[in-house]
Amino acid sequence: MPFFKTIRWVVWKDLISEWRTRETMSSMLFFALIVILVFSFSFSMDQDAARQLIAGIIWVAFTFTGIIGLGKSFTSELQNDCLESLQMCPAPKGAIYLGKVAANFLFMLSVEILLFPLFVLFFNLDVIEAVGTLLIIFSLATLGLAAVGTLFSALTVQIRAREVMLPVLLLPLAIPVMIAAVEATRGALSGDPFSFYSQWIQLLIIFDIIFTVVSFWLFEFILDS
Amino acid sequence: MIAIQVSNLSKAYGFYRIFEDLSFDIHPGECFALFGPNGAGKTTLLRILATLQAPSQGHFTIFGQDGVAQKDTVREIIMLIAHGSHLYDELSATENLQFALGLRGQTPSPPQIKRALDRTGIGAFADLKIRQFSAGMKKRLDFAKTILAQPQLLLLDEPYNALDHDGVAITNQLIQETLDRAGTVFMTTHDRDKATQIATRGGILKGGHLQLLSSEQLTTDAIF
Repeated sequence: MPFFKTIRWVVWKDLISEWRTRETMSSMLFFALIVILVFSFSFSMDQDAARQLIAGIIWVAFTFTGIIGLGKSFTSELQNDCLESLQMCPAPKGAIYLGKVAANFLFMLSVEILLFPLFVLFFNLDVIEAVGTLLIIFSLATLGLAAVGTLFSALTVQIRAREVMLPVLLLPLAIPVMIAAVEATRGALSGDPFSFYSQWIQLLIIFDIIFTVVSFWLFEFILDS
Repeated sequence: MIAIQVSNLSKAYGFYRIFEDLSFDIHPGECFALFGPNGAGKTTLLRILATLQAPSQGHFTIFGQDGVAQKDTVREIIMLIAHGSHLYDELSATENLQFALGLRGQTPSPPQIKRALDRTGIGAFADLKIRQFSAGMKKRLDFAKTILAQPQLLLLDEPYNALDHDGVAITNQLIQETLDRAGTVFMTTHDRDKATQIATRGGILKGGHLQLLSSEQLTTDAIF
């Protein structure tokens, strides 16, 4: 069964469904906007404190926004028992997983790219020189979250309290990614030399590889059970 | 080669035994209709044959492939039409066919898709989203999938549900075409009148046991 064609079909299906409903992206954007506004008002009196904390604020917003998108990733498969058809289709299950990760990654990164200018605006950030580095950091951290989040989204989709269980299971595992993302983002926003925070980017790459490989192998067992 | 070979198959949920020690063979070119009261385990048996559930005991083969150990190979030659339509609401009929067939490694051409949709009587709705389809139209689209996929074993769970008179005729015609190309059909149904028009053999699952019926017995009222 063609592996890459399966990935392409799953990404195509998820993107076209989202384009027509805008269900996931709109709820992610709405939630993230509220978070930005709340943080912006909280720190309006103390811009210095805001600048110290901005990397953490950005990743709190991105992570919880991402969880909303990840939660919806497999609930769409419950309609008309589509999950059953994914389970019994002859396509490699790892390819279905990678297709789902790719679609989630694109949703999450798109929302992050739309939101980041608002952080720049509300917190008066100077990011011109760091844009390229930040995009790499955002991509790597988002891939890590999407890799492990997609697996847990599949794991919790049949549970009645899935909205609660997904963050409960995902966040402890995502902590290393979040710490590395916060530290690398802080370094990039502060204008530090790349060598000062490059180890955090290396850590993100390692987490991405570990999370993707382990989840890739586990996905078949989760889908079949 | 035997299409479906079931040996001492049992299924239990905890202490509750759905059925036990089922053994039967179904050959290529046969249409087997499984009857039985609600809760008898018809759908459970069908889902086990579809590799969606594992049996508690016993084993089964589909065209010589073990249904548990070689389920990936089995999945390439079977297709299930179940209560859920396995269709995505936001995709059109054509897109749903492209996706479902794509995951089977097949890429039907637009004329092939159009022909399949026309044959099931929904050609005019090829670009309509599934959200706007009735239950009967979804069922017809499921059958369009089987026209394109041409599975060796077609598993049908209550295939006549939600279908009008024409839909039933199309369904039986497609089942006959599957049998004509030495395919096999296994269906669960309550609708004996419609099923006996096409079934070559059958069985009644009741109290956890299966009573096998010949084609003559299928039309004998006293047995049911």
